[in-house]
Amino acid sequence: MSGGIARGRLAEERKAWRKNHPHGFVAKPETLPDGTVNLMVWQCTIPGKAGTDWEGGFYPLTMHFSEDYPSKPPKCKFPQGFFHPNVYPSGTVCLSILNEDSGWRPAITVKQILVGIQDLLDQPNPADPAQTEGYHMFIQDAVEYKKRVRQQAKQYPPLV
Amino acid sequence: MEDLNEEFEPLFDYSRIQPGNVVCLDDDSSNESPVFWPKKQKTSHAAKEQKEPDANVKDVKVINCDEDDEEDWLPPPPKISDKSSKILEEDSTLKALRLKKQELASLAQSADEVVHAVEESVRKNLSSALQSSPKSVTKQSLEPSHEREKLVISIQDKDGQKQFRVYMDDKFERLFKMYADRIKVDVKTLVFCFDGDKISPTATPDSLGMEENDIIEVHVKSS
Repeated sequence: MSGGIARGRLAEERKAWRKNHPHGFVAKPETLPDGTVNLMVWQCTIPGKAGTDWEGGFYPLTMHFSEDYPSKPPKCKFPQGFFHPNVYPSGTVCLSILNEDSGWRPAITVKQILVGIQDLLDQPNPADPAQTEGYHMFIQDAVEYKKRVRQQAKQYPPLV
Repeated sequence: MEDLNEEFEPLFDYSRIQPGNVVCLDDDSSNESPVFWPKKQKTSHAAKEQKEPDANVKDVKVINCDEDDEEDWLPPPPKISDKSSKILEEDSTLKALRLKKQELASLAQSADEVVHAVEESVRKNLSSALQSSPKSVTKQSLEPSHEREKLVISIQDKDGQKQFRVYMDDKFERLFKMYADRIKVDVKTLVFCFDGDKISPTATPDSLGMEENDIIEVHVKSS
């Protein structure tokens, strides 16, 4: 079974996460309606970093792992239309460490990915835009961009 | 006594290795033992004879070396003969030793019995003392709890983790209160989450499928 390696690694990732993870983050494999756990799709939450305009927001992110993981990186998706220069309209995150041909290494952990995306939120990479709206606002109107980010943070309040 | 015999097994084994000696001792040690003696001496002589030419050859080269060699090589033969003679003597002393050991063992056994008796009496005294004291209540309540499964849970806030030992079937409200008291905050201002879901105070680690060292996240209500 080709998925053996991926599933084995994901089980390890989940085990490690349960014992230790950064505060405010959530990362758990999805549970199907019949109660079984699907290790290949993880429902995650990334908290906006304190002291930034993203603070207060708890951003939902879905990680899709392929059978080729960890040779290939997972696809990480925010909700559709998420406002950020490096997030595609589909919600897919554009980040070097998530690019098979660039920064991805099989040793990168789920925790490192999530922390990496948290960093990306407040530190967009204008050299690699993925959506027009976020990108234009970021380079043209810093005030409006800030306002928009804070507004979005309110759209994703703590789950509890 | 059967146990004691087992203890001596190694000694019997030792004599079995050299049955000839044992037989000699009982019957005619004078007839048989000489047979052994010359043999050993011969071999030692042979060793000496072989050694000497070697030593002479070496003499030419290094003087110190062959002296060391002789000291190393020559003493062993006498030792061997010593051993064999000792074995003959030992066998008679073995019997004496055996008797001594049996005496000691019986002594030890009686000593053991005394110790056991003392221990039991102490235990009885202790338990009766505990039952009469108020502490016995906690003792008794703790004992059945040993069967309840425990696990360590970390409660994590922004600044770090604190670890708590809880029962698998204990409601979380107790743990929450304990935590709130520890950080001196009203428990009502705190929200506890596991895997992103709020934890009901009536839930238990068991009901949430928690494992050893799982992490509960605590958030301060923003309202």
